[in-house]
Amino acid sequence: MIPVELYIGLAAVIFAIGLFGFMTQRNGVRMLMCVELMLNSANINLVAFSSYHGNLTGQVFTLYVIALAAAEAAIGFAILMSIFRMKDMIDLDKINVLRW
Amino acid sequence: MAIGDYAFLIPLLPALAFVLTFFLGKKLPNGGAIIPIVAIATSFVISLLITLGLLQNPEQVINQSVSWFAMLNLGILVDPLAAVMLTMVSFVSLLIHIYSTGYMSHDRAQYRYFAETSLFTASMLSLIISDNILQLFISWELVGLCSYLLIGFWYQKPAAASAAKKAFLTTRIGDVMFLAGIVVLFADLFRLYNGAIPDGIFILKFDEIFSQIPQLAAMSTPVLGFQVNHLTLITLLFFGGAVGKSGQFPLHVWLPDAMEGPTTVSALIHAATMVTAGVYLVARTFPMFIAAPDSLMVVAYLGAFTAIFAATMGIVMNDLKRVLAYSTISQLGYMMLGLGVGAAIGAEAVGISIFHLINHAFFKALLFLCAGSVIHAVGTHDMRQLGGVAKVMPITAATMIIAALALAGIGIPGTSIGFSGFISKDAIIEAAYLFGENGGGWFPYVLSIAAALLTSIYIFRLIFMTFFGKPRTAYGGHESPASMTIPLSILALFALAFGALTTERFNKFVSETFVNNFVHMDIPGLAELGGYHLAAHAGHEPLIILWLPVIVGVAGLLIAYLVYGMRIVNMDKLVSRNNPVYKLLYNRYYQNAILTNFLSIKVVYEGLAFAGRAVDRGFDWIVDWIGNISLDAGDALRQFQTGVVQNYAMIVITGVSLLVILIAVVREVL
Repeated sequence: MIPVELYIGLAAVIFAIGLFGFMTQRNGVRMLMCVELMLNSANINLVAFSSYHGNLTGQVFTLYVIALAAAEAAIGFAILMSIFRMKDMIDLDKINVLRW
Repeated sequence: MAIGDYAFLIPLLPALAFVLTFFLGKKLPNGGAIIPIVAIATSFVISLLITLGLLQNPEQVINQSVSWFAMLNLGILVDPLAAVMLTMVSFVSLLIHIYSTGYMSHDRAQYRYFAETSLFTASMLSLIISDNILQLFISWELVGLCSYLLIGFWYQKPAAASAAKKAFLTTRIGDVMFLAGIVVLFADLFRLYNGAIPDGIFILKFDEIFSQIPQLAAMSTPVLGFQVNHLTLITLLFFGGAVGKSGQFPLHVWLPDAMEGPTTVSALIHAATMVTAGVYLVARTFPMFIAAPDSLMVVAYLGAFTAIFAATMGIVMNDLKRVLAYSTISQLGYMMLGLGVGAAIGAEAVGISIFHLINHAFFKALLFLCAGSVIHAVGTHDMRQLGGVAKVMPITAATMIIAALALAGIGIPGTSIGFSGFISKDAIIEAAYLFGENGGGWFPYVLSIAAALLTSIYIFRLIFMTFFGKPRTAYGGHESPASMTIPLSILALFALAFGALTTERFNKFVSETFVNNFVHMDIPGLAELGGYHLAAHAGHEPLIILWLPVIVGVAGLLIAYLVYGMRIVNMDKLVSRNNPVYKLLYNRYYQNAILTNFLSIKVVYEGLAFAGRAVDRGFDWIVDWIGNISLDAGDALRQFQTGVVQNYAMIVITGVSLLVILIAVVREVL
């Protein structure tokens, strides 16, 4: 049996990658992917603890998170698609028409 | 069923006629004039039957009340005073409506005219028939509204629109005083009951108010070092309302301007409705007035002053209708004087004053309708352009001369032979003499005699200038149609004979309203409360006093004849801008300059403008301040909104990290 610490370590690594990507990238699609990474690192944690404690709550919860993430990604990509059609780019720094 | 059970229909039928005419009148011939005529005719018949019944049996006062809410009620009261007023109003109004079918036949908005006059009549009838002061006030306001609508009937004319506004606003000053009087009265009555009013007692009903008069007279409040008697305060506030409605000095200014409406409306306002409402109010609450110290003095002096003040202006007016307007103000002054001299003669004052009111209604309606007939035929109301109209319009001229004789008060004293105006005006002047003899001061008597002379001069000046001599301009003209001359003839008959036929009986009938009927008032007892000394009885004045009013009346006629008929004096010298007296009179004592230019423009408008500007600036500053604060705060705070998503994420992460560290530290410490 793989010790639970390894799962946590993996999740921490993936979360850090996601966070780093989110902070450094300006491309909307990449940022969205990084958000997905962070979400899924949390999922790994949930499943790991679920199996460690021997109850299914964490796994059920993960299913919900996956469904929500799918919905969020669908909406996010739809917005990015329409931005791309209007401006021919998805650099989120340059989307600033409503800024002061 | 007795006829009294239908009394509620008297105001209700014209009110229904208003609704019907307003919605259906356009589709009917003559603007649906037939609806109000039938309705008012029915009201007249009911009123007449009730009056006749009351004459037979004065105890059969009709008083029906229903609870409205709390301690207030709605109801009708037909006692002799109300009955004669109802009969007169519905009768004169009926004749004016019939006359109007001829007079207004060229107007396109006839249906609106008939609807509004019908509502006017309904409001006035409901005012008269009210058995409580609040309902009276509601009708009072309705009358005011209708006068506004009717004076401004030709609203396309700027003069008519502004006259309507003036009438409404001027009478509103009086209305506010009347309302204040009701509020004070209500508060006092409420206090008398200690706030616990038993079921079934409606405190604003007239009999209820009258039964509390001694208690009310005992209440007083110190104001600026004077003890103000509550009853005096209430009655003077009521009188303030009457001053506005009945065109007494200084709130008379709206009445001459009210001539901008159709002439029939002037007749309706000046004869049957509206202006008589004020006199009626004082007559209706007469027991309160007589128990209130000083109130009747104010009424008598102001009435006498108004009588002469308006008469002097009537003498120099060149507009047919304006002469009559000032004449109305002057005659209303007589009626107020008639009530005021109740200080000397008690409840009889109500009798003579209402008698004059009724006679005046007949001859003044007649004068106005005759003037309308002339204007309708000739197309001008400037007397300087008329002259010799009698040849063209014999019926109109004859009826108008009868009305003029009635107004001037020609008759034989000591008998009941004379025109209707003579009988009643004479009674008032004699009462004014008694008033002077009993220590009330001679001022009202002297003024009323002088006003009688002026009255005779101005009305015969009008007659001679309009009907006799040679035409001064070429005008067409023809006698008016029968729908106009028949009402004229009927009214002339009344102006001629009504006074002579009814005098004794009428005065007794109306005067006893407060003595035998309805409520059993002890008028001499109340007069003692008010500090008035009632004279024993009229009838033993010196002969000269009896004859003087007639002598001045005839003298006025002769002066007018010599000056305007024979032209023995060259008036051009007198009637010029260089004559200061003429100038003063013609400019109506500069009231317009004082009231409009000074009071309303300088004081009211500029005062309001100044206050408005100050308030405006204050609010401006506050609003600007709030706006600037918000803007500055926004400027500072929006620096956070960089629009770079990473910055937001950074803040979130920093925040979470700090939270984690904080929790760790706290755990370590604890």
